Amino acid sequence: MFLEKIISHGKKERKVIEEIKRHIKLLCTALGTFKVALEKNDRALVRHVSDLEREGDFIRREIISKIYDGAFLPYLRPNLCKFVESVDDVFDLLEQTAYNYLDLRLPEQIKDECVRVAFLNHRVCEMLLITFEAMLGGGDLREKTLAIRIYEKKIDDMKFGLIKDMREIGIEDFWQGKILSDFVSNLTRMSNIIEDASDNLQIISVSMR
Amino acid sequence: MKAQEFMTTKIEYVDADKTVYDAIEKMVDRRIRSLVVKFPGKDPEHGIITARDVVFKVLSKGVHPKDIKVSEIASKPIVCVDQNIDLREVAKLMETSNIARIFMCEGEKIVGVVALLDLMAATLIMRARGEDVS
Repeated sequence: MFLEKIISHGKKERKVIEEIKRHIKLLCTALGTFKVALEKNDRALVRHVSDLEREGDFIRREIISKIYDGAFLPYLRPNLCKFVESVDDVFDLLEQTAYNYLDLRLPEQIKDECVRVAFLNHRVCEMLLITFEAMLGGGDLREKTLAIRIYEKKIDDMKFGLIKDMREIGIEDFWQGKILSDFVSNLTRMSNIIEDASDNLQIISVSMR
Repeated sequence: MKAQEFMTTKIEYVDADKTVYDAIEKMVDRRIRSLVVKFPGKDPEHGIITARDVVFKVLSKGVHPKDIKVSEIASKPIVCVDQNIDLREVAKLMETSNIARIFMCEGEKIVGVVALLDLMAATLIMRARGEDVS
């Protein structure tokens, strides 16, 4: 409602909003792709995540330059940029996780649980898009951000189970252990950043009341 | 929303011949309210022991938990359904069977569990997504 009012006459603002939506949708696609790749052990599809990350990087640069080219009132710009940077951080983390995956052979004991985390990461991203769209419409974000927190808590619980299971896996050398540990750590950290991004949306929403 | 999306896959077990004290240790250590009980025998048979069973059937009666076996207070059989079941169906099943946990199984294998709190959390998510929660 309020944001719609702010952007209703601004071509630049409208363009930025569309680009931010595209950025989040692309992140959801990348997370969905990674989930499928993990499930099918499709290494070519895992590599495709890197292409999507590059595309995301391009969109982020476009958004930031448009914002500082005069879109939106100056007081809104830092929080909008911070939100966009958070989404980009998830892209970076996803790419890192994909590289970790290419460097390891995922043990069967934890494979299913990792696929479930990847699936939930995709769901959290969808919820972020819903939250962003609700903010544009001036809706109440409370129940949307709560849903994101519920997902995040669930993934956090799964992380502890995964760590426990990992302790039972025989590791032959330092790098094998480190890459596996990094993989699980990165995979379970994405929802944390998405949660931060949703908190940021809440701040933007409140600051415009 | 399907149950598999929100079920908990980490299932903790206790052998039927262990003492209730062992079960308490495990539940408190893992901060969980129930354990799946494994009964001996060729056919894999499962039961369940909950915090409620421990308090109502043992502690409140003044019985020492080391003097009683898990098998003596466990409930069985457990209710097992396919993981593709809709969460609304799970809620109905809980209500009709008057139980707080429904297990998701693949053949004889337990692959997950949906508890009351999972159902409530899933309801909030469905609402946030704009799905029908009735």
